[in-house]
Formats: sequence, C-alpha cells, structure tokens
Amino acid sequence: MQADPRAAGVIHDIGYRHYDGARLGRGYLVRSLFSQSLRGAYGLGRPARSKVMPMLLLGWMLLPALIIVVVAVISGAPELPLDYRDYIPVTFYISAIFVAAQSPQLVSRDLRFRTVPLYFSRPLTVAGYVLAKYSAMTLALLILLGSPILVMYAGALLADMPFWAQTRGALMGLTGAALYSLVLAGIGLAVASATPRRGFGVAAIIVVILVSYTVVSAVEGIALVNEREDVALYAELFTPYNLVNSTQLWMFGAAENPMFDELPVPQGWQGAVFVAMVIAVVAASVGFLLLRYRKAAVK
Amino acid sequence: MNATIAMLTWRALLGRRRAALLLALPLVLLVLAAGLRLTGVADLEASRGVLGALVLGTLVPLLALIIGTGVISPEIDDGSIVYVLAKPVSRATIVVTKLAVAAACIALFAALPTLVAGLVMARNEAGVAVAYAIGTLVGGVAYCAVFLLLGVVSKHAVVLGLVYALLWETLIGGYVPGARTLSVQQWAVSVTSALAEDGAVTANVRLAVAVTFLVVATVAATAYASRRLRSLTLTGEE
Amino acid sequence: MSTITVERASRWFGNVVAVNDVSMTIAPGVTGLLGPNGAGKSTLIHMMAGFLPPSAGTVTLDGAPVWHNEDTYRRIGLVPEREGMYDFLTGWQFTLANARLHGLADPQAAAARALDTVEMAFAKDRPLDTYSKGMKQRVKMAAALVHDPAVLLLDEPFNGMDPRQRLQLMALIRQMGAQGRTVLFSSHILEEVEQVASHIEVVVAGRHAASGDFRAIRRLMTDRPHVFLLRSSDDRRLAAALIAQPSTASVELDARERALRVYAVDFQQFVRVLPRLAAELGIRLYEVAPSDESLESVFSYLVTS
Repeated sequence: MQADPRAAGVIHDIGYRHYDGARLGRGYLVRSLFSQSLRGAYGLGRPARSKVMPMLLLGWMLLPALIIVVVAVISGAPELPLDYRDYIPVTFYISAIFVAAQSPQLVSRDLRFRTVPLYFSRPLTVAGYVLAKYSAMTLALLILLGSPILVMYAGALLADMPFWAQTRGALMGLTGAALYSLVLAGIGLAVASATPRRGFGVAAIIVVILVSYTVVSAVEGIALVNEREDVALYAELFTPYNLVNSTQLWMFGAAENPMFDELPVPQGWQGAVFVAMVIAVVAASVGFLLLRYRKAAVK
Repeated sequence: MNATIAMLTWRALLGRRRAALLLALPLVLLVLAAGLRLTGVADLEASRGVLGALVLGTLVPLLALIIGTGVISPEIDDGSIVYVLAKPVSRATIVVTKLAVAAACIALFAALPTLVAGLVMARNEAGVAVAYAIGTLVGGVAYCAVFLLLGVVSKHAVVLGLVYALLWETLIGGYVPGARTLSVQQWAVSVTSALAEDGAVTANVRLAVAVTFLVVATVAATAYASRRLRSLTLTGEE
Repeated sequence: MSTITVERASRWFGNVVAVNDVSMTIAPGVTGLLGPNGAGKSTLIHMMAGFLPPSAGTVTLDGAPVWHNEDTYRRIGLVPEREGMYDFLTGWQFTLANARLHGLADPQAAAARALDTVEMAFAKDRPLDTYSKGMKQRVKMAAALVHDPAVLLLDEPFNGMDPRQRLQLMALIRQMGAQGRTVLFSSHILEEVEQVASHIEVVVAGRHAASGDFRAIRRLMTDRPHVFLLRSSDDRRLAAALIAQPSTASVELDARERALRVYAVDFQQFVRVLPRLAAELGIRLYEVAPSDESLESVFSYLVTS
C-alpha cells in the first residue's frame, strides 16, 4: 500500500550537500591525532609560550652531552667519560620535569573542556585515542632522551673512538631510552588523565616520580647498611627510573651498577622479575587510560 | 585576615583529589618511619637521613607546591576569584589570609607528620624530631609564600615552581656552594640545626643569615603578590 | 545617583584592539549594551567593573576611577558571565559569604533578602553544582545585590536561559532600574534589550556605533536598504525594469558572481513588484536571496551611516 505523501512529514531539500567522496580510514584518524599530540608535546602548533618549557628542557638535556663531546674531542680520550646508558639516570630531574609538565598538555584540555565525547562521536575508538596519545608521549620522550645519546655518539665518532664499541654502546643506550620512554609516558599520562586541572596533574606526576624515588633511596640506603642486598635489589622495582635502569643493566649484562657500585644488579632470573614489572607498569597504565576514557566518552 | 576568605580557601583547597594527594605524602612518610622502626633499623642516623633527605629535600617542597599554588591558582583559573576581588577587601588581606591557610596546611600535612615520624624513629633523641618539625614549618611557609606569588603572577605556576624547587634547589644548590645561601631548603636546615642538639644536624648557612632570609623572602613574596593581585586582569573570557 | 563615564577608552591585547576609542555615559535606569559577539561588550563591562585597566582613556564612576580602587566595590555589583563559582557551597552559603565579604552589619538578613528578591530561597540549601544554569545566574544576581549596590553590571545575563527564566530576569532588571539604580547589561539580541532597557548603546567591532532609545535604533535598522541577490534568465533587462521602479535604490550587475544585486528602499513594495515584473517581461527567476539579513551587516551599516 502506498503511503500518502501529504500525510507523512516532508523533508525539504535545502541544498545540504552530502559528501560522497573518499573517506580516509581510522588509521588516518589515529595518525593525525598522534602527530598533533606529538607536536603539542613540544609546543609546535601552539602559541609561543607553550614552546618555552619543552624547548628549554630539551636544550638543558642536550647541554651536558655537548660538553662531554667537546671535552672528549679536545682531550682525545679513548672513550666517553659517561656511558650512554648512564646519561638518563644522571639527568633524571630534567626528564622528570618534562614528563610532569607535558603529559597534562596532551590530555588535560580535552578533559577540562569536556571535548572527549566529541572525539568519540567520530569513528575513533577509545583504544585508538589511547594508542595515539600514548605513542605520541612515548615518541616525545624518546626524542628528549635519545637525542643526547645521538649527540654523544656523533661526538665519539668525531673523536675517532673505536666504531663498533661506540655503536654498540649507543644502540644499548637507545634501547634503554625506549624503555624509559614507555614507562614514563605510561605513568605520566595515567596520572594526568585522572584530573582535569593541569596544574594539579603536574604536581601529582612529579609526586609519584619523586617521592617513590626518595623513599626507595632511603630504603635502599638503610638496607645496604644492614647488609640486606636482596631488599635493596627489589626496592628498585618501585620507582620508574631505577626500575628501567636495573632492567637495562640486566639486559646488557652489566656486572655492577656503574654509578652506585654497592647496589646490586639483577642477575639471571631476577631480571625476569624486572622485565615483568616493566610490562606490568605499561599494561596497567594503558588499562587505566582505557577505563578512564571509556568513562569520559559516555559522560 | 578575613574569616570568610579563609573558609572559602580552605574548602576549595581540600577538594577530594587534592586532599587525597596531600594525605598520601605524609602517609608515605609515616609508613616508612613505622617500617624502619619495626625492622629495628631506626636510629639517629636513619632519622637524620630520612628526615633530612626525604622530608626537607622532597616532601616539603612538593607539599608546599601543591598547597601554595592550590590556595590561589584554581580560583584564578576558573574565574571564581572575581567574587573575592569584587569586594572592598584589600588585596593584602586576601594574600595574607590565603598564606595563613597554607601555613595551617603545612603544619597539618608536613610539620606534624614529621614530628610523629621523628618520634617513631628516634624518640626525639638529640631533639631531632622537634627540630625537624619546626624546620619543616618555617621552610614550608617560606616556600608557600613564593609559590603563592607564582600562582598570582603566572598561569604555569606549578611547572615554574617545580623548576625552581628541583633544578635550583637540588642541582644548583647541590653543586654551587654560593647558591646555598639562597636556598629555602638550606635555611630550613639551619633552623633545624640550631634547635637540635649541637652536632646532630649540620647546617651550611649561618643561622642569622638563614632566619633573615626566611623572613625577608616570606614578607617580600607576600607584599609583591598583594601588589600583583591588585592588577590582576579578568576579561570574562575563558 | 551614580553615573559611569567612559571617556575615549581603548583596550588592546597585543595586536588586537578590543575596544576602540569608546565614549559613553551610563546614567541611572536600565541601559542595554548591544552588539554582535566579539564586539567588545565583555571587555567594556570588565573595564567598568575595575578588572581591566583601559590602555587609553578613562573609566570612572562618579568621577573616581574604578581601576585599582577596591572601595568602589561597595557601590558596584557585578554578575560575570563565566560559570566558575565555589561549587561546593550551597546557594545560601555562597550569598552569605558574599554578604560577609562586603562587611555588612547583618549579613544573614541581607543574604535572605537578596535570595528572596531573586526567588531562589526554595533551593538555598542545595549545593551550587546541582543548580541549573538559570538558577546559578539568579544566585549570581543575589550575590551582586546583597550589598544593595547603586550600580549593577550584568555580562550576558540572558545567555542560555529558557523563556520563562528570561521573563523573570527581565522583570527583576526592570525593578532594579525603577529603584533608581544604574543597571547595565549586555546582549547580542535586540529584542531582549528593547524589552528591558530604556536606553541602548550599540557596540560593533570595538567601536561605539549608536546610542539612543530602542525605537530610534530600530528605525535606523529598518530604514536601511535591503540588498537582494538575483539570478535570472536575463539579468540586464530585469535590472533596467527594476531601476525604473521607485522601490529600487540601485542595481548592480556583478560579473564575477554572475548575479544582479538590487538595493531596495521599500521592502514591502519590492517583493510585490519583482515577481510581477519578471512575469510581464517573461524572465525566469532562478534565485532570489536576501544578502544582508545577518545582524553583522545590520550593525556594520549602522557604523558606516
């Protein structure tokens, strides 16, 4: 039976134009969000004031590396005064400030101004959003942590240091940098996404990193004084920088901790515990982010 | 001092999440102290290490950062400070009241737990527990005054305060001897050293210098913050 | 009797000029500040409230500058547009806190009076974050009225209100004006302004465009030529026929747009004449579109006139 057109409602064609052309897929969505977040972490594409802190921190991070290189070239030493894999723990304040200051830049604004549901009204899944943000922060940190290693490597080659030894060292350093980036990005983003206030997020992240570090150091100091090396070893698990440092020392077969020779390095199967913890931290961060944004997408 | 502003500041500061973070820090300290005591490791040496490095070095600056910026930055951020500013109340009164609330929080979340931790670990041997508690209080208040000023002056108060507390105090203060005379942490250590028994705590800055700088820093920061608050512009846009 | 005097005030933010050499006097009674979004109304109101210093010129209340002058707040009540309030307080606690901050002798009585005036006494014991937007607006009014100010400044008070709330707020504002207070409120909707304000100041792109009562403004706005964009099978012949009509002020053949632009002085006449002419001449009309209905073009006409 034909419906009477006058009885039903009428939709007027007011010239609204449909888009029937090619649509770029979800991958493009995620890639765009990723690149925008990565650039935002360094203040690119934002007003000049947002560039100051990250660029300053990047410069600060590179400065010791440049000094090391200049000294090495001039003095003609056979190897660099600081090993590639020790650079990051030594300069940890700078990268800690970077994580604390920039993680909220990636996630706070969307939460504060409640634009998260807008993201998910597009063909973007929660997993896609989290993947984009996590990858962006990881890569941002990798740039921060990896560039001094590359600078030292270039300097070492300029100073005619043995090629293969330096290349191996640099590759190990970069692997360590990657691990640091993954763990720190996870912690930074997870804590930052817990609050819409940017300033509070910064404080919370630095509290997590710094207080865990100080407490663990205190525990280790006291444990070592009382000859409890096992306590000192496993205490390392509970603060991000030490966790990754011990893991990379174990991965590359170091016999002793180059900076604190009293601190034990994981041997044999102990390393597996450390690797498991690294994976657990990353997984927990991703899980938390997924849960958080699943809730935010609905509100 | 204005009771209404104090009430508003106190309640705004201790919202659920911030209160949780502010409680977590002293809790960590107390758990550590209790743990050390239970495992029989607690003694004067350990107390000094824990109270010196953990408390004065890390806990106090971080707590002061959260509290000092938390008494003013959120209100400026969301614009609710207009209700306090659009009143015939002098800006100095506003700043002093907020600083007083911050000081009370420092006493509650930093000084008191420090006292308890010290007592748990070393039973006030050499007067260390009380000395560190007072050092924490004066250092914390000075930090709060500086961070309050940062909160009035800049939208990025927390990051700037972080850069100051970490990079200046720790890196430069640690490596450049002259910079120690300009470090709030060192001033607090001097006060602590003076109050503890002789030789229990070593100070790097003379007491007279430290106390003068503590007072000057607190007063100057508060005065400058009052001046800048007078000129705070609100445009009505986000 | 309180008068706000804005004397050649300008305000710029870097390269952006938000308020450009504006002079106006806000006298007792209700004045409406009318202008499109981004015209600088909010900036002007915040300059009058002492929260923004003018980059040039002066803003004074009865001769005394409002900037850097905390005492003027005894006489000014500001209802800001932004929603940020102390959300954890109840309506009563918030109003009472405002009363106390003013140093009133009997803050409880003043707060109760203010809440009754805005008809919010029924919800006074609920926290502010459970309020609807209209309720929050009314509590903001209560907070601004609690010290019985001579001057009341409202920044976009009708934003986001439903018709019933709007009527209530209009009645309240009229009441305040009738009591002899100097009330200034901003809006971008002429109908809102003309129902409440006895005097209107029009601000466009930072400039003071017009001033007067609403009838004069409306006449200025409707007496303008209406501009139409026509596309037909023979634009030139149509143009020739139209210009012969008294309802047409001018015609323009726009070669780039391939259209005919007609400036009509008598809107009613023109819309009757056009189809008749087209039919007589056998010209097919493909498109007839008004091209200046937007508020912006109306306002810009006001600026150029």
